[in-house]
Amino acid sequence: MDDNTPPPPPPEENSPPPAPSSHTGSPTDFLKGVVGKRVIVRLTSGVDYQGVLSCLDGYMNIALEQTEEHVNGVVTNRYGDAFIRGNNVLYISAAEPI
Amino acid sequence: MVHQQVTVELKNDLSITGVLKSVDQFLNIRLDNIKVLDEARHPHMMAVKNCFIRGSVVRYVQLPGDHVDTQLLEDATRREALNQAKR
Amino acid sequence: MDASSTGIQEPFDLIRLSLSERVFVKLRGDRQLSGVLHAYDGHMNLILSDVEETIMIVDVDEEVQPGAQRTVNVAKRKMDMLFVRGDGVILVSPPSRT
Repeated sequence: MDDNTPPPPPPEENSPPPAPSSHTGSPTDFLKGVVGKRVIVRLTSGVDYQGVLSCLDGYMNIALEQTEEHVNGVVTNRYGDAFIRGNNVLYISAAEPI
Repeated sequence: MVHQQVTVELKNDLSITGVLKSVDQFLNIRLDNIKVLDEARHPHMMAVKNCFIRGSVVRYVQLPGDHVDTQLLEDATRREALNQAKR
Repeated sequence: MDASSTGIQEPFDLIRLSLSERVFVKLRGDRQLSGVLHAYDGHMNLILSDVEETIMIVDVDEEVQPGAQRTVNVAKRKMDMLFVRGDGVILVSPPSRT
């Protein structure tokens, strides 16, 4: 629990070293923290989905709201609701402070 | 759906029409009286009369729409979703 | 178990609410479907009716414009009733409420 944090994907996560803060920094806690927040979901195909994370399950199936599909940085589609099958997910990144 | 005429489309774009004989838990499929849709591209299948298709290579199964009770499917799906949620 | 303000607890609820509605499905292999959803399961196997499939075939034409124009060939076909194997599914969305 030092501050040599090896997995860097969410860059805006500030980790105060000694303080026993509320979030322990486990993946599960991260995911709980980003529910209801804007996230970027990257698929293994390289396509990004940016939207508000409604919920997710143990397979990393994901429900997003107000979703934009980005391919090579260009918005290619918009969905009011979107369900993403978990096996396609590469990572979930917070798009706003959590 | 057994004994209906269906078209199974595989992930390698091969489409096979035939009479559905059986489906198992892995969605492996047995077809009778088969016919390959694009025989020019797959001439080697001409002699084959029936086949067993591994479920994992299936992309789609086209079904005869008039023999599908959609209300029944939706009710069954809701019931299954409820059971799934209880676990 | 509580998901912020939405009435949706897990991703599959989103799909359940789309039963007997027209949905948009994005599949592997640059395919997408639009059809009325009648059934699904935990693998995301789907049964759709009144389906239109769109297959994107992207080929790069260097001759057209100096700006490396990409022409997207689109093949469409319609199917009455279709079972879709879940492993090919990437995304499901009810397209109406955008």
